[in-house]
Amino acid sequence: MHRFQFPRWINKFVPLLGGALAVVGAYGASMFLLASHPQTLNVGHAPKQPVPFSHKVHVGQLKMDCRYCHTTVEKAAHAAIPPTATCANCHTGQDASGSVAYAAVHSESLKLEPVRESIATGDPIPWKRVHDLADFAYFDHSAHVTRGVSCVSCHGRVDRMDVVTQVEPLTMSWCLDCHRNPDPHIRPLDKVTDLEWVAPEDPAVLGARLREEHNIHPSTNCSTCHR
Amino acid sequence: MSSASENTNYWRSLEQLENTPRFEQFLHREFPEAASEAPTGLSRRRWMQLMGASFGLAAGASGCRVPEETIAPMAVRPENRVPGKPEKFASMLHVAGKVQPIVATSYDGRPIKVDGNALHAQGSGSDVFTQAAVLELYDPDRSRNVVQREGKERFSRDWNRFFAAWEDISATEGEKVAFLVGTYDSPSVKAQIDRLAERLPQAKWFRHDPIGRPRAESAVNQAFGSHLTPRYRLDGADVILLLDADFFGHESASGLQNLRDYSQRRAPEAGPMNRLFVVESHFTTSGLAADHRLPLETSRVASFVADLEARLESRLSGEVAGDADLGDALPLKPAEDADKREKFIASVVDDLVKHPGRSLVVGGPHLDEATQVRIWRINSRLENLGATVELIRRPSTERDTVGDLAELTQGLNSGQFETVVVLGGNPVYDAPGDVKFAEAYAKAAQRIFFGYYENETSRQSTWHLPEAHGLESWGDGIAADGSYCTAQPLIDPIFGGKSLVELLAQMAGEASLTGQDLVRQTAAQHLGTEMTEARWSKLLHDGFAVESQGEPVAVTLADDLQLSDVDQAAWRADRGDALEVNFRIGATYDGRYANNGWLQELPDPMTKVTWDNVLTVNPNTADKLGLKQDTLAKLTVAGQSVLMPVYLMPGLAAGTLGVTLGYGRSFAGMIGGNLDEQIDPVGVNVYPLRKSDALDLATDVKVEPTGTKYELATTQDHHAIDTLGLEEIGRRVGALVREGTVSEFEAHPDFAEHRVHHPPLESLWTEFSYDGHAWGMSIDMSKCVGCNACTIACQAENNVPIVGKEQVAKGREMHWIRVDRYFSGDFDEPHAVTQPVTCQHCENAPCEQVCPVAATVHSDEGLNDMVYNRCIGTRYCGNNCPYKVRRFNYLDYRAGDHQFEEANRELAQLVFNPEVTVRNRGVMEKCTYCVQRIQNTKIEARAERRPIGPNEVRTACQEACPAQAIEFGDLNNEESRVAANHENPRSYAMLAELNVKPRTKYLARIRNPHPWLAAEEDHSHGHGHHHDEAGGHDKDHDHNHDEKSRTEAEANS
Repeated sequence: MHRFQFPRWINKFVPLLGGALAVVGAYGASMFLLASHPQTLNVGHAPKQPVPFSHKVHVGQLKMDCRYCHTTVEKAAHAAIPPTATCANCHTGQDASGSVAYAAVHSESLKLEPVRESIATGDPIPWKRVHDLADFAYFDHSAHVTRGVSCVSCHGRVDRMDVVTQVEPLTMSWCLDCHRNPDPHIRPLDKVTDLEWVAPEDPAVLGARLREEHNIHPSTNCSTCHR
Repeated sequence: MSSASENTNYWRSLEQLENTPRFEQFLHREFPEAASEAPTGLSRRRWMQLMGASFGLAAGASGCRVPEETIAPMAVRPENRVPGKPEKFASMLHVAGKVQPIVATSYDGRPIKVDGNALHAQGSGSDVFTQAAVLELYDPDRSRNVVQREGKERFSRDWNRFFAAWEDISATEGEKVAFLVGTYDSPSVKAQIDRLAERLPQAKWFRHDPIGRPRAESAVNQAFGSHLTPRYRLDGADVILLLDADFFGHESASGLQNLRDYSQRRAPEAGPMNRLFVVESHFTTSGLAADHRLPLETSRVASFVADLEARLESRLSGEVAGDADLGDALPLKPAEDADKREKFIASVVDDLVKHPGRSLVVGGPHLDEATQVRIWRINSRLENLGATVELIRRPSTERDTVGDLAELTQGLNSGQFETVVVLGGNPVYDAPGDVKFAEAYAKAAQRIFFGYYENETSRQSTWHLPEAHGLESWGDGIAADGSYCTAQPLIDPIFGGKSLVELLAQMAGEASLTGQDLVRQTAAQHLGTEMTEARWSKLLHDGFAVESQGEPVAVTLADDLQLSDVDQAAWRADRGDALEVNFRIGATYDGRYANNGWLQELPDPMTKVTWDNVLTVNPNTADKLGLKQDTLAKLTVAGQSVLMPVYLMPGLAAGTLGVTLGYGRSFAGMIGGNLDEQIDPVGVNVYPLRKSDALDLATDVKVEPTGTKYELATTQDHHAIDTLGLEEIGRRVGALVREGTVSEFEAHPDFAEHRVHHPPLESLWTEFSYDGHAWGMSIDMSKCVGCNACTIACQAENNVPIVGKEQVAKGREMHWIRVDRYFSGDFDEPHAVTQPVTCQHCENAPCEQVCPVAATVHSDEGLNDMVYNRCIGTRYCGNNCPYKVRRFNYLDYRAGDHQFEEANRELAQLVFNPEVTVRNRGVMEKCTYCVQRIQNTKIEARAERRPIGPNEVRTACQEACPAQAIEFGDLNNEESRVAANHENPRSYAMLAELNVKPRTKYLARIRNPHPWLAAEEDHSHGHGHHHDEAGGHDKDHDHNHDEKSRTEAEANS
């Protein structure tokens, strides 16, 4: 009996097979890259927080300034998450004698239980980090907000978020886009925390003027962010 | 050029002179051994233990996303606390037997860096022990519990249990109780000791410090009839003579201040230089700094001093007799053919006589008492008392009557004591050979030990009590100048340890007061004021009481001094075969820092040996004795012998054998050795060789070669800069370290730049221009004495790992700043010079040109940036770096998974500076000019809309340098000190002829030789053209040199 052999006409499919493999490979690679890109993985990251704090309520409706809580944003690298004591300025519970302050808000809300517990025990509330840069990237909030880069440029319209969600990819190329062309992102210093603000003129023109005024020269040296 | 003087012979080590294959390997290969081999066998195990003990790194769980992190803000944040912003606190540490005022940097509540407190005279810069204190704080091996041992059983207890047991013991008025204390220098400790002594009036007190200065104290007492402490005023000293005194090192109580004051007068452009004569047996950093150094055995220094005094006396009394104008007549000038020693002492006498009241003679604390008294008499005769040296009354914290260790041992043997309380130290390990403390200790029924580690003594005790670290506790101390310093805790005791003050108070029955209360009470008492809240805050803020230093006391020499006659010729006579052994302090001090990896891996300033103590021998003596480098020798002192590796040390006195104390710890920890864990001790314990009546010097000595090979891990020949080979190296090194004399400097201020001639430099590359900042550094070699403080400061600041002995032997040490040490001149009595080398941040950096992945790139401020994430580890950059300053992570030196459970790893990694990336295996790294400090200063200044101050950015090495030899700043800012230094005529760029345009410039080292000895000096440090072209060359030296050297080169070829 003859050994089974592929008929000769099959041969013309061989290059085709090569082509097909290349296509599948390219498809696989691009899917992998797309899937693992920070744009896919990180944008939209909205972890559940121990207290369902709503920026939409506090910033959007109550019009609280960002710096009421994130006090160190103009002074330090970190825009520190506020201590529980800041929450307790309004959200106190009963004191030792069982009475509740007149101005206390939602003093019996179950959702605020962790706040009251933290105040009572002194233990921190374990908030979940939303915007997480790699440890070898040294971002400094004060360097940006004191130059007129608004919160909204990186964090989006937090005043419309019930749950804080990452809206920008926070990749190095995304950082560099702005460092190379900062003009559209620079605004007057008193508007930095005004998330609704819209430039009265072309933002790039205004930004260029402010950049001149404030002597802003963003650096693209590696050591600017990596130490 | 090819006719360069043979006399400019620099050499790095004897191996180099002999051209051994091992040196050749280091010379020709940047990476002597390939990266492929991982440590094997026991060494691998040892290596991992070491790594884990010094650094641990939690490997983040890697998923698809970055791992989820938690942010835990404080429930109530203290006022002015900004998360992530380092805070600085003034405090004080008891470091290496000294009281060191410090400023500690705290990051989110954990101390990560310790520097000197610059407000205090003793705190400009710091030493290696101070810098390494933070590693000790987070050492996973530190003791964690109260431990009770019953027989062979070991139980963890709590403090209450101990104090309950203590109540039983102390019920008897302390009849059979003995206390053993070390040096504490703390009024609060003294106060509590007194309180405890009141409770236990029958108890006996003993004191033991293996490295004390008792003879220095008693010599002052004998000379002036009072307990006083010298304070040196080097600014007024034109001539300094050091007699076997490690004046700038750890042996001197005021070493940092001495070094700073000395170095202030070593810049010839800033005013007249001082002149330093050194007579010493060892080669110390003082000898390195010396203008003239005479190696002389310690046992013969007494003779030298007697001779010196006699000569001074005859010269000075001759003056009185009418021979007034000694001026330039030089009546005592030695003949040209006089021997070196004669010339040396004649010059010393000449200089001292000519500078009455402006000279200083200092004797080492281990010289015999009579000699030290004689030295005081010389100072008195030279009118130096009150001028260059003041005697101050430093508040004593000693009890009036204390016995010593030998007496305690005797008491124990006779059954006098049932309870011994050892408060610190490690007497079982460091008792002298003739005091059998360990055996006697076992005879006491209750043996209570209080210490930071569970060590040799803890293991023989029934109770071990954990001590809190100096950064965790309240405390106080009396600094060398008599000032009152306070310590405040930067962190709560991590393992519930207690400070000595708290423990004593509680043992005395005072349980209600906190450490703070106790110190505050003492502070009020000591300073004689009411400690109001404001005063207390101010005291803590400053870290010491301003104006509390001891006032100088007017003294006169006791007139009834009976000093026996000393043979004045002995120091010049043939010494025969007599040998002496000198015991000196090394990297672990008395052994207490044996478990500190930073200190163990720090190359010794002179021998460059790491991870070992060695027997240093003069090469000629070694020849006679048949001792060879890298072999073991059997050293016998009065019947006790040890095996030690031999290290041939040029410049050591011929009859001196040097050994270092503090090694060979059998139960120190994962780093220093722990026999229970099969970790061999580092080095050899030489304490048993000591005799209690002569702790520092032994003369009954025998030493025999054994021929056994022993590999030492030295950093000496690593990173030798050479391209052409040994025949060239003399001239080459002469080009790297440039030295001259004052007269040379005066004739040609810019002689250093002209040492190397090269054709005009043209770059193949487009050169950068720097309009903004241009960061640069300058290092003044006239001031550097090679103390290594910069290396450890850099290690602490930049998360530089340790690699272990095997890796150092392969040339893989990771220090970002190394201190090169070169010898020059006469083989028997060499000079030495040190040169700290960091990344030079070349403007045309050769490393950048060869990196295939752009992992090292240039910033527009002139920094040579290193991007760890891009690095793929080709090591081309390291290969192409002419300065050999790049370091490669061959292995994951921080891996911690294998040997530590989670808790230990978390503890060990607290030492990391969060401002600096922790590097991984396979990545190149190097000095960044402390870019994190530059960036933070820049951000801060810009946020405040102000320019950066001219000297505002300070690097870690600069901050640590006690000699203020390092300056850093913006070269484009003309007001900065670094810009001025770059303009200094002494400045030169190392390897400028390569046109790499380094940003670090060195200031040439200037020596100030005595004219009678100057001929020798010039001889050994002469200009390359000194002999053949001296005539025609000098006049048009300053211009056209490029052109000229080209023609010379042609003519010579």
